[in-house]
Parts: sequence; structure tokens; C-alpha cells
Amino acid sequence: MATAEATMGGMAHAHHEEQSFIRSYIFATDHKIIGIQFLFASLFFLLVGGIMALLIRWQLGFPGQAVPFGDPISPKSYNALVTMHGTIMVFFALMPMVMGVFANYLIPLKLGAPDMAFPRLNMLSFWMFVSSGTVAMASLYVEGGAAGAGWTAYPPLSGAAQYSGVSLGQQLWIVSLILFGASSLLGSVNYITTVINMRAPGMTLFRMPLSIWSLFITAILALLAVPIIAAAAIMLLFDQTIGTTFFLPADGGQPLLWQHLFWFFGHPEVYILILPAMGIVSDILANGSRKPIFGYHSMVYAIITIAFLGWIVWGHHMFQSGMNPLLGTTFMISTMAIAIPSAIKVFNWLGTMWRGNLQFHTPMLWAIGFVSLFTIGGLSGIFMASASVDIFIHDTYFIVAHIHYVLFGGTLMASFAGIYFWFPKMFGRMMSERLGKIHFFLTFILYNLAFFPMHLLGMGGHMRRIADPTQYEFLRPLQPLNQFISVSVFLLFLAQIPFVINFFTSLFKGEQAPLNPWKDNGLEWTVPSPPPHGNFETTPTVYHGPYEFSSPLVEEDFLPQNAPLNGGERKAATVGAGAGE
Amino acid sequence: MANESVMNEAIAMPGGVHAEPGMQVYNQKLGMWVFLASEVMFFTGLIGAYIILRFGAGDWALPGIPLEEGGTPLNINLTAINTFMLICSSVTMVKAFAAIEHGDQKGLRRFLLLTVLLGASFVGIQIYEYMELVHEGFMPRCSDELAAIVPNCHLFGSTFYTMTGFHGTHVSLGVVALIWVTVKAFRGQYSKENHGGVEVVGLYWHFVDLVWIMLFTIVYLI
Amino acid sequence: MASVENKKKPNYYLIWFLLFALTMVEVGLAYVSNLPRNFLILILLSLAIWKAVLVAMYYMHLKYERLRLILLATAPIPLAIILVLGVLLEYAR
Repeated sequence: MATAEATMGGMAHAHHEEQSFIRSYIFATDHKIIGIQFLFASLFFLLVGGIMALLIRWQLGFPGQAVPFGDPISPKSYNALVTMHGTIMVFFALMPMVMGVFANYLIPLKLGAPDMAFPRLNMLSFWMFVSSGTVAMASLYVEGGAAGAGWTAYPPLSGAAQYSGVSLGQQLWIVSLILFGASSLLGSVNYITTVINMRAPGMTLFRMPLSIWSLFITAILALLAVPIIAAAAIMLLFDQTIGTTFFLPADGGQPLLWQHLFWFFGHPEVYILILPAMGIVSDILANGSRKPIFGYHSMVYAIITIAFLGWIVWGHHMFQSGMNPLLGTTFMISTMAIAIPSAIKVFNWLGTMWRGNLQFHTPMLWAIGFVSLFTIGGLSGIFMASASVDIFIHDTYFIVAHIHYVLFGGTLMASFAGIYFWFPKMFGRMMSERLGKIHFFLTFILYNLAFFPMHLLGMGGHMRRIADPTQYEFLRPLQPLNQFISVSVFLLFLAQIPFVINFFTSLFKGEQAPLNPWKDNGLEWTVPSPPPHGNFETTPTVYHGPYEFSSPLVEEDFLPQNAPLNGGERKAATVGAGAGE
Repeated sequence: MANESVMNEAIAMPGGVHAEPGMQVYNQKLGMWVFLASEVMFFTGLIGAYIILRFGAGDWALPGIPLEEGGTPLNINLTAINTFMLICSSVTMVKAFAAIEHGDQKGLRRFLLLTVLLGASFVGIQIYEYMELVHEGFMPRCSDELAAIVPNCHLFGSTFYTMTGFHGTHVSLGVVALIWVTVKAFRGQYSKENHGGVEVVGLYWHFVDLVWIMLFTIVYLI
Repeated sequence: MASVENKKKPNYYLIWFLLFALTMVEVGLAYVSNLPRNFLILILLSLAIWKAVLVAMYYMHLKYERLRLILLATAPIPLAIILVLGVLLEYAR
């Protein structure tokens, strides 16, 4: 193998063929393996969260009826379901998907680096994630049941067992959150250091693909936001266990303080969830349009602006908390302002596709789906940004609709786009296009059938987190809508079956993947599928940006970043890229 | 990496080339600074919560007033000495670093040992202080007797122990890391060209001192 | 290539003396209770920040590092201020 030793992080790569199975695949330090480990973990938790969603929709659509082959869902169980569905989807399915899978897999490869700056820290980060997920799952089975105070865990309800009836479950919830935070922090340190310090020669910051830009900025957000929730969670845990009084009003604590701390983290958190999705979609849209991304620089500045503004909007989650109206107004203004860079990105995606030589491969379909659904989610956000409107729709299904449009229609669809796109590189095999398209169309249609009506429910006054809407007379006319939504969700769940079949059969029986099946420009497509340990035999040199599609200077409609334009005595792009010949 | 320095500003990549210029400090140093940025936010959460809770609480136990009259239960004089000791340990730490920058192995070892001793003493005195306070009834949840005298005692106890406890934990972990580095120093594993470990642990140690400087003022003196 | 700090070296003992003196002033002020409270808080915080800046600049060598590292290290500070000040506004009448 390569004789050149990498001298960063004190690691040497001389003799890796001899590593045991455990060192290579269980306690792996290779970023690609860790990325794939995160992928399997995320998909598992996606399944768990999805099953919880089914149970929630069962109760909402058919309140009080026994679950098939089971019992009726009690109100306490319902609270736990709603809490754990949110917690698992946000922290154990989506966060690891964007920050664990794509950050890990793509950053070194797309930058021309052999691995992350701190491979062993990377491994630690994954196993801490596993432990946090284990604690969260364990909390489902302890006495008293799982946490039931919502994924937002507002005290006093979450702060004392006497209020919620849940003791150990809530404490384990908090512990798993703290462990998750630690895992996330370690990951961020790695990603930030790697992006700053380990780019191949020629890979200036403004030649980085947007996926990497967004992952980089996201890592900075996570670095600075996660410690706040860690501090808050510790204080909540102490309130629950050792009699402190941070959030319990009886002895001077302030419940509202939790809300401020939680959302000071929580808002950057949602940008952590969406920015990588946007970055991935940018890469895939450019590829599928065979055109450079429209307005690359403004895309970068938009990402940075969103990240900056994201720190000063947290109060829009608290318009109903009784906070000082002056404060509320400032949050309203900053929240509306943040729509601007987001809109710039949407227009730039449209500009990218406009008059492109559109290739509707499966990743492209998901990316286009992302743009449409994220736009809807963003538009509903503008309604919510207005404090006076929010007085009516806060804590209703309007919010639930918004959340799911941006997280499912947004982050999850972008994640599917990314999985279909990079699966060939990860596993050396192609996924089935046919099954991929079936998966996409079924999901897209059923998703909208399921979640669009929730805007109507919310405007009709349907609150969040209630177990039985029919207990309120004014909600009974909306019940058919609830049933319609529930049935759509059940079918949406089933619509994921083509993906499961596709993913697992392709792993073993998929067609061998060529070096660069999507004819893309990224550096990851210049190395074998899957790439060897160390990624690049020698570090590539980068000559231009990542979106040189349909360049008039080149015969092919793409130009890899490491392909010099005019040949020269330098090495051409590696075998199979065929640029500029 | 046997003979090559790990403290390069230019990061070596496979194939004998250097990375595109980034922060222009070696990876471990950059990583430590990035980590310290997150630690600033962590202590911001804890100390910020204290400031907000106290601001909203009204009455508070002030320094310079006897305990019976509702003054602070904290031992300011002892902690002032402790604070000074931690500052001294920062001096010895930076002297250790300066020593190895000149290749002075003896100086490195001497000053590292002093730092370990001073750091461990800080933790020891803090534990002693905790024991005294608990004896008085000052705990995360105060005794009923103390709560009758000290205004907002439970809130004070909650915040005090959480902030200083986490700081103390950070110091303890720092002492462990320092011992590790000291052992390596005694084994001659650092040189003028290669002493990144000393610098990186030093950065962490100074940070811990810096947090204490803020904590001491905000919690004990104000 | 050795790091930048080889070129300039602060007088560590001088900084040490400054830190010691500032601490003494702080403790003294805390005991002298006839200053207006808000004024006292302001002075104590300023002294503490001064000490913290000394440690950061001279012991952590930030003064001798590139601007981009200084920006990285100080990035959390505006966020900390926003959080605390923003929430304290809750109490504004």
C-alpha cells in the first residue's frame, strides 16, 4: 500500500491489512467505516421513531381503540410516544444522519484528505453515540415508563416525578441527551479541524463543495450550541435527583430559564439539521442539472448568514411564554430576516436547474423534492414568525406541519438523496433506479397527503400532544381529517419498503459500481468504490471549483476538481474521469 | 512520525505535499482551541444560569457580612488563597512550556511537577472547603437551619455546587492529563522540536485557570 | 518549522505579579461595602475580565497568534453576552 505516511494526528498507516475484524469494523477509526456505522444506526433509529409515529397516528385517528394485536394506548403512554418519537427522530435519526454519516464520509474524501484530523476521537464519538442511544432505548422499559414531557422537556413537568409520574425514564432521557451532546462535540472538533487544516493543495475555502461548506458551518453551530443544552440538562437532572432548585419555582427556580436555555440551543439545532441537507442538495442539483450551482458565493454567504442569524431568533419558540413584548418584537424581526438568505438559496437552486440538461436520476428526484417541500416548510415558518399570528397557531398542528415539512420533506429527503447518491461510492454497488423512483414517488405523494392537512388542523385549533382530540367538541368535525392523515401515514411507512429492499439487496447483489457513476466533479469520485484506507494514494492537487459542469472549455460535460484544464505534464484526473482528453 | 516534528504550521499530507494553508497551527493545537470554544459555552450556560437566577431572586447572601446576619457562608479568604495558587500553577505551566521551547528538559520536568502539585492542592483545598460548607448545612439543597438564615439558600447551593463542582472536575481531569505529560517528560519524550503535548495541555490548564478567575469573582466576591 | 511564539516572549513573572495584585484589589473591594452596589459589581467584573484577558493573551499566547485563531477563540463571547443579556431583558420593566 502507500508508503507515504500521514503525519497528522500521530497516526501511521503502514500496515493496515493486518488489522483484525474488530479493529477494522467495530472499533474502526477509518472515517468511511464510521460514517457507515452511523448510517446503519440512523436507519435503525429512523425505524424505531417511525413505528412510534404509527402508534401516535393510530391513537389520533382512532382514539381509544386497541392497537392491532395489542392494547389501547393510555394517555401516559401517548405522552411517552410523542416525547420519544421527537427525541429519537431529532437526536438519533437525523442528527447522526447529517453529522455522523455525511460529515464523516464526505469531509475527508471531498477535501483530498486521508482521514479526519483525529481518527480515534472519531471512533470515540461513534461509540458515545451508541451508548446514548442505548440509554434512550433503555428508558422505554424502566419502571414509571419513558419520559413524557415532550422532546422539549419543559419543567416543572420534567423537573419532578411528582408532576409527571415519570422518574427514572426522564432521568435516563436526560443522561442520554448529555452523552449525545458529548458525542456531537467530539465530532464537531474533528470536522472543524479537518476542514480548516487538511484540505488538499489548491482546495481553497471557495473551491470547497457546498456540502462541505454547510457541514463545516454546521459543525461550528453544534460546537457552540450543544454545550448550552448540556449545561441545562445537567441542571435539570440535578433538580430531578439531588434536590437542586434551578427550574422549580417553589424555592426560587425559574421554569422559563429552561425554555431560554433549551431554545438558545434548540434554534441553532434546527439549522444544524437543515444546513447539511441544503449543502447535499446543492451538490446533487448541480450534478443532475449538468450546470454549475447558480450563485456559488451567495450560497456560501447565505449559509453563513443563516448560521449567524440563527443565534438571535430563539425566542420565537417562546412567543406564548409571557415574555417581555419588547423582546418578542426583536425576535420577530430577526426571525423574518432569516427567511431572506433561505429564499436566496431556493432561488439559486431554481436558477441552477433552469435550462439545465436535467438528468432525473433518483438522487436528483429527491433533491428536487427537497426544494419544493422545504419551500413549503419555510413559507409556513413566515406565518409563525409573526408573533401575533403565532399566538393563535403556537402549539397547534400548524407547527407540527411546519416541523415535518422541514425535517421530513427537508432533511430526510435530502438524506435519501445523499444515500442514493453516495451508496455506489460507499459500497461499490449501484442501487436499483426503478425501486428508487418508486420509493420517491410514493413517499412524495403520501408525505404531502399526510402532512399538508395538518396546516388545516392547526388553523382549526387542533393542539399538539393531546391524546384524544375527540374529547373537545370543537375538534370533532376535524376528526375525519385526522383519520385521513393517519391512513396516509400508515401507507407512507409502507412506502419505505422499496427502499429497505433496494438498500439491502443492492448491498449484496447490486451491479458493480463504476468509479464515477454520476459523472460528478468531487474528489471522492476519483478513487475506487469503496475507497481504500487512506483514500488517496497521493494527495490530489485541486485546480478549480466543484461545479464545472458543461464547461465550454472541455469536451465532457463535467470536469473533476483535480483535472488540470490544459493537460500539461501533471497527472490527469485518475482513470475513468476522462476529462479534457 | 519518529523524527518529524508534529508542531508544523504546514500540515503534511500523503505524497510529501502540504495541505492548503488553514489555521497554520498543528492539528492538535487547533483541535484544543476549538474544544476550548465549546467549553466557554458550557461554562456560559452554568454561570449564565447563575446570573439570571440570582438577578431574579432578589435577596442574596453578600460577602463581608456575618453569616448570622444573612451573609455569605463561603470562605472567601481561603478561596482567595486557592485562587492565587491556581494562578501560580498557570505560571509554572507556562514556564514549563518555555523551558522545553529552549530544549531545557530539567526545567520542563521541574515546572511540570510544580504545576501538578499546585493543581492537586487546589482540588484538595476545594474539597476541604466543600466539607466545611456541608458541615454548616450549605449543600445543593440547604439544611433547614441554614435556609432560615441565608436568603435564597437552596438556589445559592444549587448554583454554587454545580458551577464549582464542574470547574473542579475540569481541574481534576487537567491534573490527570498533566501527570500523563509529566511522566512522558521524565521519560524524555519531549524535545525542542516536538513538545506539542506540553503546549496543548498547557492551553487547557490556562483555560481552567481563566474560568476560575471569572468564577471566583462572580460567585464569591459579588 | 517552530511556532511563532519563539520570537517574542512576555515576562511571565510580571504578569504573575499583576494577577496577584489585581486579585488583592478585588478581595479588598469586595469587603469594603460602602461603594454603590452596581458600581462595585462593574469594577469587580472589569477586574476579573482584565485578569482573564491577561491569562489568555500572555499565558495562552493569543497575543502572538494569527488573527484567525484569536477570532476562533473569542467567537463564543458575543454569544455568551447575547444569551445572558437577552434573558435578563425578561426582567426589564
